[in-house]
Amino acid sequence: MNSVYKTVLLDHFHNPRNKGDLDSMDRVKRGSNPRCGDDIEVGIRAENEILESVRFRGRGCSICLASASIMSECTIGLTMRQARHLVQQMLDWFGDTISEAPSNTTLAALGAVRQHPARKKCVLLAWVALDETLEIK
Amino acid sequence: MLTASDSVDFDALRKDFPIFDSGPQTLHYLDSAATSQKPRCVIDAIDLCYRNQYGPVHRGLYPLAESATEAYEKARQTIENFINAPSPDEIIFTRSATEAINLVASGWARQALEAGDEIWVSQMEHHSNYLPWQRVCRDRGASLKVIPLDSSGQLDLDKADGLFGNRTRLIAITHVSNVLGIVNPVEKITRLASVNSIPVLVDAAQSVGHMPVDVQSLSCDFLVASAHKMCGPGGIGFLYGKKERLTQTEPLLLGGGMVDQVLADTSIWAEIPARFEAGSPNLAGALGFAVAAAYIEEIGRQPIAKREQELAATAFEALSEIDGVTIYGPENSPYRSGILSFNIDGIHPHDIAQIAGEHGVAIRAGHHCCQPLMRHLNTPSTARASFSFYNNKDDIAALVMAVHETKKILGS
Ligand SMILES: Cc1ncc(COP(=O)(O)O)c(C=O)c1O
Repeated sequence: MNSVYKTVLLDHFHNPRNKGDLDSMDRVKRGSNPRCGDDIEVGIRAENEILESVRFRGRGCSICLASASIMSECTIGLTMRQARHLVQQMLDWFGDTISEAPSNTTLAALGAVRQHPARKKCVLLAWVALDETLEIK
Repeated sequence: MLTASDSVDFDALRKDFPIFDSGPQTLHYLDSAATSQKPRCVIDAIDLCYRNQYGPVHRGLYPLAESATEAYEKARQTIENFINAPSPDEIIFTRSATEAINLVASGWARQALEAGDEIWVSQMEHHSNYLPWQRVCRDRGASLKVIPLDSSGQLDLDKADGLFGNRTRLIAITHVSNVLGIVNPVEKITRLASVNSIPVLVDAAQSVGHMPVDVQSLSCDFLVASAHKMCGPGGIGFLYGKKERLTQTEPLLLGGGMVDQVLADTSIWAEIPARFEAGSPNLAGALGFAVAAAYIEEIGRQPIAKREQELAATAFEALSEIDGVTIYGPENSPYRSGILSFNIDGIHPHDIAQIAGEHGVAIRAGHHCCQPLMRHLNTPSTARASFSFYNNKDDIAALVMAVHETKKILGS
């Protein structure tokens, strides 16, 4: 059985990066899934179009929270344009329009979840919220 | 002590279910409240129907059509007997419990309701016994009232002001909660309701295959259930309605078979029950349903109830010994069926169900189509193990192991 609970995912669940206070963020967006009670907020702070900080807080299942943590780690330092591109890659990867993981070893840890359609939304919740923070002009 | 369930060899009965021999890994199926597994006799009946008996129902004069019609009507009688209805004409085949409730909401309540009237449901209802009433009340200017629950999750009838009052047009209540396993005091409710001649609809989706159900002693006006939760096929269920209530009900679907005379701008409906079964009937579904009912009846619903209660009680005890596990609902077993909802501190129920699944244990996690109840329990979702008579001690041990495993992987 190909468990979704890979070491990397568990590490991000147990030791979430960039989690907590969002007070110093420029933009915050909420992602929630009333069907399972996942409810998180994602915030960004950017300087000259570069993401200086990406943070999140909230509650959810391990996959949702680990995905948010992994996302924060993978997007800090990117330009907003690069971040939007990465979000799109994630959506395509989980929407099965591409089969390759975005070239990033940490993200690959989320790949096993692709076999479980009911939980794809848990992975994407943070990413969709991030996308919305990136969209605001 | 010899108990009712000791006289039935349930371990032998498990062999009636081919699914348990179909995979390389033991399937610990603890999701029978969502849908039950199917015994060979039901599968065979459906197979035989399509091989040898299949023809149009109520629509042909040649022998195959006649025998198909006869078999379909015999299935109706089996369901009649299964719930001790006074007449087969009071059994309407529907697609499901859901469709049966919608038929009563749209066909009966819509005419019966006037502005200011009330329909009562409870806080533990499945969405299928909530939303149809919510909409029909909104459309008719009536109000939907909710019987609150006490801290153990049982109906708090004393706090339901006006429940049996003269504004109440209908009480729609589940017999057994699909989350808490609580068995509601339906007979008490119908007795109190009868003083003001208030009709009562019973959602028997979680009871009819698991405990004796007799519509005459329940004294309800409507009762609904689905075959697939009681060893029968998907796509068929029924509505029981007292004749006087069905006479007041408009059909939900119009079409072939439900009409006697179609004139240019008006029509005359067929007799009951044909009036409510527009379109070509689900013959294989009805035959499979009848065989499922007969199968359950042969085992006996008293022993089944006992067996499932015992399994749930054993699981209750084992899970409550685990640190950080919260079990919802009352402990005392007379009010419980074989359904058990729980959570583990700090761990999302979807993770419990996923890890359990990776260990061959099939449990459900989520709000179980009971968001109003989740608000009462103050949690967005729970994990749920539901037992059927074909489960055994190994299934409980596997569940307990899965809970420990979940804590090991995700616990802090
Ligand atoms: C208490 C209860 N009522 C109604 C239903 C609806 O049954 P169906 O989906 O078969 O129509 C369910 C199914 O989960 C249920 O548990």
